[in-house]
Amino acid sequence: MASVQGHNSINRVLDIDGKLVGTMPEFARNPDELLKLYRALVLTRTFDTKAVALQRTGRLGTYASSLGQEAVSVGAAAAMQPDDVFLPSFREHGGQLWRGVTLKELFLYWGGDERGNDFAGPRGDFPNCVPVGSHPPHAVGVALAFRLRGEPRASVCVIGDGATSKGDFAEALNMAGVWQVPAVFLINSNAWAISVPRAKQSAAKTLAQKAVAAGIPGEQVDGNDVIAVRAVMERALAQARQGHGPSLIEAVTYRLCDHTTSDDASRYRDDAEVSRHWPAEPLVRLRNLLTAAGHWDKDKEEALLHKCSNAVEQAAQEYLATPPQPVAANFDYTYAETPAELAEQRETAIALAQGAA
Amino acid sequence: MKTFALPDLGEGLQEAEIVSWHVAEGDHVVADQPLLAVETEKAVVEIPSPQAGHIGKLLAKVGEHVKVGAPVLEFEEGAHAESGTVVGQLAEARAAPTAAPRAAASFAPSAPTVRATPAVRARARELGVDLSSVTPSGPGNSITLADVQAAASHLGAKVPETLRGARRTMAANMARAWREVAHATVQDDADIEAWSPDEDVTGRLVRALIAGCKAEPALNASFDAGSLSLRENPTINLGLAIDSPDGLFVPVLRDVARATPQEWRRQIDAIKRGVKERSLAPADLRGATITLSNFGLIAGRHASLIVMPPQVAILGVGRTVAQAVQSGNGIALHRMLPVSLTFDHRAVTGGMAARFLRAVITDLETAG
Amino acid sequence: MSELNLVQAVNAALKRAMSEDADVLVLGEDVGIDGGVFRATEGLFQQFGEQRVLDTPLAEASIAGVSIGLAAQGFRPVAEIQFTGFAYTCIDQILNHASRLRSRTRGRLTCPMVLRSPAGGGIKAVEHHSESPEAMFAHIPGIKVVMPSSPARAYGLLLSAIRDPDPVVFLEPTRLYHAARGEVADNGAGLPLGRCVTLRPGRDVTIVSWGAMIKGTLDAADQLAADNIEAEVLDIATLKPLDSATIFDSVGRTGRLVIVHEAPMSCGIGAEIAARVAGRAITSLLAPIERVTGYDTMMPYLRTEAYYMPNTAAVVAAARRTMAYT
Repeated sequence: MASVQGHNSINRVLDIDGKLVGTMPEFARNPDELLKLYRALVLTRTFDTKAVALQRTGRLGTYASSLGQEAVSVGAAAAMQPDDVFLPSFREHGGQLWRGVTLKELFLYWGGDERGNDFAGPRGDFPNCVPVGSHPPHAVGVALAFRLRGEPRASVCVIGDGATSKGDFAEALNMAGVWQVPAVFLINSNAWAISVPRAKQSAAKTLAQKAVAAGIPGEQVDGNDVIAVRAVMERALAQARQGHGPSLIEAVTYRLCDHTTSDDASRYRDDAEVSRHWPAEPLVRLRNLLTAAGHWDKDKEEALLHKCSNAVEQAAQEYLATPPQPVAANFDYTYAETPAELAEQRETAIALAQGAA
Repeated sequence: MKTFALPDLGEGLQEAEIVSWHVAEGDHVVADQPLLAVETEKAVVEIPSPQAGHIGKLLAKVGEHVKVGAPVLEFEEGAHAESGTVVGQLAEARAAPTAAPRAAASFAPSAPTVRATPAVRARARELGVDLSSVTPSGPGNSITLADVQAAASHLGAKVPETLRGARRTMAANMARAWREVAHATVQDDADIEAWSPDEDVTGRLVRALIAGCKAEPALNASFDAGSLSLRENPTINLGLAIDSPDGLFVPVLRDVARATPQEWRRQIDAIKRGVKERSLAPADLRGATITLSNFGLIAGRHASLIVMPPQVAILGVGRTVAQAVQSGNGIALHRMLPVSLTFDHRAVTGGMAARFLRAVITDLETAG
Repeated sequence: MSELNLVQAVNAALKRAMSEDADVLVLGEDVGIDGGVFRATEGLFQQFGEQRVLDTPLAEASIAGVSIGLAAQGFRPVAEIQFTGFAYTCIDQILNHASRLRSRTRGRLTCPMVLRSPAGGGIKAVEHHSESPEAMFAHIPGIKVVMPSSPARAYGLLLSAIRDPDPVVFLEPTRLYHAARGEVADNGAGLPLGRCVTLRPGRDVTIVSWGAMIKGTLDAADQLAADNIEAEVLDIATLKPLDSATIFDSVGRTGRLVIVHEAPMSCGIGAEIAARVAGRAITSLLAPIERVTGYDTMMPYLRTEAYYMPNTAAVVAAARRTMAYT
């Protein structure tokens, strides 16, 4: 019988001030691991800020910020092996960066260039899934492949709270449970699905308890506590790899940003509520822990901010300097071998583009 | 625009360096949201927003030293222009230039539509047929290919016509004959001054031809190219070339050597009727051993004609012409009949041909 | 060589594909022990085991979605959707994901999956079991759509579909599962996708069709021949990508075109073929293009199903109408 831990026993290691309230997991006893996590959070936020700024100045397409939710995907990615497969929704930039997707690839994707999905690093990871909640079945298929081949690999699928209302989500959890595939479903439970608040999305007390219907374990974790997120994910992934099947993790966080750069949340959301969530944001508590433990200081902070800023800036420049793909590209990648009827269209498109040039 | 100034950072600090901005122009921010990070002597400090609002303009850059109290950003005032979408950009309508109202164009009543499929139209163009003049016979009052063809032939336009019947046969036969036979022609004239004015011309020609065959039976033989053999024919079956509106017919007068001139006449009349009435049987057209063509009935003097295998000869007779000939010691006008003998030189020598022709001419030149 | 019906031919092709390539998997509802409700997967579970033949819970969209995940990892899943009436829910996964996985990752991830499903009416089934959705699938860029008309072509085309590196929707005419019988050489030879098959040469009118309608079309051609009208019958076989060249060549010789499909008229594949011919072969046309199709209504319940389906008489009449333009 699957168990679900609710809000009262939510997994948490650090409180919002960065004080230890739970047991420090094994990996966290090594300060280098915590520093790695912190640097990843800062890089994610730096990238995020730049992406928004580029969009606002017409140099990037619509962008979905991960402001305040960085710990969810960074904690998850940090728990994964390189040959696991990551299936993000569209707010897991930090996790993608941890797994080897480059800043330039992220800029290319959000700038509207398919080459951004041709990851040089994590070759098996899926690109973002824009039709909300339609990718959990893919995660089941990937995990099933691992199980059929007897490989100790797992898939991690990140969905939003809104996505848990989708039929595909329920179907996937159900199939994962029946087949006991090594898949971990991670909910970025950020309390808002565009303008629909969590209370209007589901009558369930927690989203983690949707695992009960699928017969798999489910638990909640403080999504702003990157240490706790990583710890919970490590346990879930270990279970999966050992053949004990899938699980559902609800990472409770808050969407401090608008849904996308074209959205204006002030239309439907109380600013005061957002203000109240700022103190719980993930970067501050970890910085406080590290500073209090003597592993972090002002100079390191400044140096890190500069380093991240330079890296992001350089990647942005590379992206901006990358010319768009030729007209033919979209035709060449539609099929393995271009059928005659499409080849004709390709030539027409090239000719029209040249005529317009 | 409401400006936001760098607040008092405490500890008597008068200025700070901007390390990074956390927001961009256009962003919506809430109270307590970190706007930027500044470096003081002691720490990197986050500066929170005092209010909710939309960022209008950032007034300082990363790396700049800003004094406490100096403006660092402006908030938008008034209503924020919203995008009206959650993805992408919706372009706004452009103010349409006011155009002078156009006078309603007066349209002449259109000509009644001609209905014809593209293939039919293409054909009509090829043949120079004006579709509006064609009477349609197809479904839905449409013009068919046949309608166009008919219109074209009435116009006298050159309609490529598929040959049928006798003309088709002639085309095939002549082509074959031309390919196979080694044609050679010898020509002369017969002095027929001795003929009576109402001489039976055809009868005389037949008689003369028989005389030729008697003199040189080889000209009445059948030649087989495959075996290179020449077979003399016991009878003379004379093919008579007859012109008709339906084309060339060559019906056969059987065994003319043993029939009487009256019988020839009867056969010839029957043949001519048969051609006219198109009642000739295929058997009537087969088995000629030698052919006679009196093309002079129409026009022409001498001619090289086509020998139809397995025959080896065809005698062509041209138009009678009065010519000046030697008569005694002077010149007289005599009626002269041109005769041309085309033969298959694979089987027949020039000598045979010439002797045949001499016999023909000798017979023609007798009085009756 | 043996004489098989169409569903046996499908079964033989699946068996052959699974024997030759360990990455070929079969999944769907009731495909395992039961061998599929139409016995298309009969014997596969017994021969290849539960690691290769998977019974899924009742969730068509996820059957397609799981196939996508498997395919991205290098398997070649052949998913069965019990009836095309239930395949509509798969359109989201096929259209939003399978069809574009190669393009949006610039070839890094690909999707060599097959989605096979029985299609079409004429089996006196309850409602929703007689759908002809080929045009809906054929409108999706990046996939292929195939509908065989005979056991031998079902065998060869399914093998090619399984071997194809891109997603293929394989629609099997339910009506022909038992009714179509023919010689099938179980030799592993695939038939090329994207090619029409000329089933009957003719000089006077081109009749194109696919699936279960082919039999009636050939019968119509026989009837027309008795009146000295020689019809050329083409089996389109692959609805996407469409072999326009063969169609243009045929119409170029006959000048007349009749298209026969069971699916409703509006926006059916007949419209696509007619548009292509009107665009590229219009100067060959002696007569208007005729479409003999289902009506723009639901397939009626079984008691009146027969009047909905295009029949031989309708095809003959359409051909005769084109012959009036001579």
